[in-house]
Amino acid sequence: MGKFFLNTSTFLVLFWLLGPLIVIVGGSFTETPQVIFPPEGFTLKWYEQLMGRSDFLESFIDSLVLASIATTFAVFLGTITAVGLSHDKFVGREVFRAFLMSPLILPTIVTGVALFQFSRIIGLSSNLVGLAIGHTLITLPYVIRTVGAALVNLDPALAEAAESLGARPSRVLLQVIMPAIAPAILVSVIFAFIISFDQVTISIFLTGPDIMTLPIRIYTYIEFAIDPMVAAVSTLLILFSYMLIVGLEKIFGLGRVFGGKS
Amino acid sequence: MTVVTSEMNVGERLDQIAASRRRKLRFLQLTPIALLYFAGLVLPYLLLLRMSFNEYDAMLIFKETFSWSNYSKLLTDEFYLKIVAETIGLGLAVTLATLILGYPVAWVIVRSKPRTKSLILAAVLSPLLINLVVRTYGWITILGDNGLLNNWIMAWGISDTPLPFSDNFWTVVMGLAHVTLPFMVLSLVSVMESLPANIIEASENLGASTWRIFKDIIWPLTWPGVGAGSILVFSFSISAFVTPALLGGGRVSTISTLIYEQFTFSVNWPLGSALVFLLLAMNMVVILLHSQLFKQDHG
Repeated sequence: MGKFFLNTSTFLVLFWLLGPLIVIVGGSFTETPQVIFPPEGFTLKWYEQLMGRSDFLESFIDSLVLASIATTFAVFLGTITAVGLSHDKFVGREVFRAFLMSPLILPTIVTGVALFQFSRIIGLSSNLVGLAIGHTLITLPYVIRTVGAALVNLDPALAEAAESLGARPSRVLLQVIMPAIAPAILVSVIFAFIISFDQVTISIFLTGPDIMTLPIRIYTYIEFAIDPMVAAVSTLLILFSYMLIVGLEKIFGLGRVFGGKS
Repeated sequence: MTVVTSEMNVGERLDQIAASRRRKLRFLQLTPIALLYFAGLVLPYLLLLRMSFNEYDAMLIFKETFSWSNYSKLLTDEFYLKIVAETIGLGLAVTLATLILGYPVAWVIVRSKPRTKSLILAAVLSPLLINLVVRTYGWITILGDNGLLNNWIMAWGISDTPLPFSDNFWTVVMGLAHVTLPFMVLSLVSVMESLPANIIEASENLGASTWRIFKDIIWPLTWPGVGAGSILVFSFSISAFVTPALLGGGRVSTISTLIYEQFTFSVNWPLGSALVFLLLAMNMVVILLHSQLFKQDHG
């Protein structure tokens, strides 16, 4: 009886978790003007219609550009920072580390508002700069944590050996430490990219006429109309992040990526 | 400063040189990020704090002054107090919902064979990969007035008019529970993993009922996970913006949606800034409360 209850409720919860995704993917192929499930007939017209929308295409490119910029900055800066934190202990190291993690704890809407007001007051004319700073800040903690974890697992004897053999610190970093943490850096790249690409709350304050990311484009679209075209673009987005994760899984195994126990 | 004497061996000197070299390097490595955080986070937050003491001005957007008027307005005006109460209520409802839904799932995950386990875990985590706006859109297509559920209900003749599943407080609760459930499940799984299996066997052998085993043994032992998951879910829910804004259909106001309005439609930055610090204070209280309540558990 207990077991039956547990299994049934787990099944129902999983159904509830995955329900909207199934409806979106299925509904994107429907011939009806509304999303219905199970879909009626099969058509690709909503995808065709989507391809004709230059605003969605531009937003997709905007999102790609922004995510690439933010990822580059965050991974570059985050890796250097993680290395800097991994040397000897210093006074205030844990406080500094906690400070660097703060964008994760601070509500994203607040960070968005803060950057929005700041860029208005200093008269920042480019929305891209504000967005890039916001997205870099929000992805940096993940990079620092992922690369930092790899550095902790690194045998300190490696760097010491290189140092005592006379290698300069820059050489130790580039030729000893970097190759050892390369997998963690690659994981960070994909994580940072996904997080930036999916980011909504910060972007909503910082987008403008010159740049509008894809999630914000969908957001403003569904405030007015709900048709299967949105289901089509959503399906493509689901496919996109799914492919990134499968790529990650193929390279490293999902268990390791999530720090898993399985 | 240490004076290097001849007695000091070469190894120690080399160590010293290496250490000072590393200190310099560390300074170089940590300065860029410190600058970025200062310019992109500390300064904007300080400006927001300063703004919260200014006053609204219809012409200039804000008037430089120093007054507590925004805060006193938020803490006395019934309109704002109601929104604060609704935000807290939302957080509590979502926390309770994820706890009730997540607890059995976490239990099943921990008790399953490795393959089933990673399968369920992947299913629980997979919504995290779906964009927030996309997930919210999914719920709108299901729950809206022209949505799936209402189509079915009217096709089966249960009701002639669409039922109000969307644009209300409970829709937002459900949407937020959908977003936050993975956090709750992960927190619970991590404590349940360390639960010794023989404890349950022992109490079964001693004749305890299932309910008693749960109430007296499992629940108290998983309490730290319940606490950790609840604080995550609650903080996330009271600060969430996208889900209440889209699923509430403009009819559900939380502190976050109000902040958005103050900065976009009303252009009342001073009041919006005060709301920001009210939200931050609420988050702080939750964290403090959590560390007080769960202090004993960590010895």
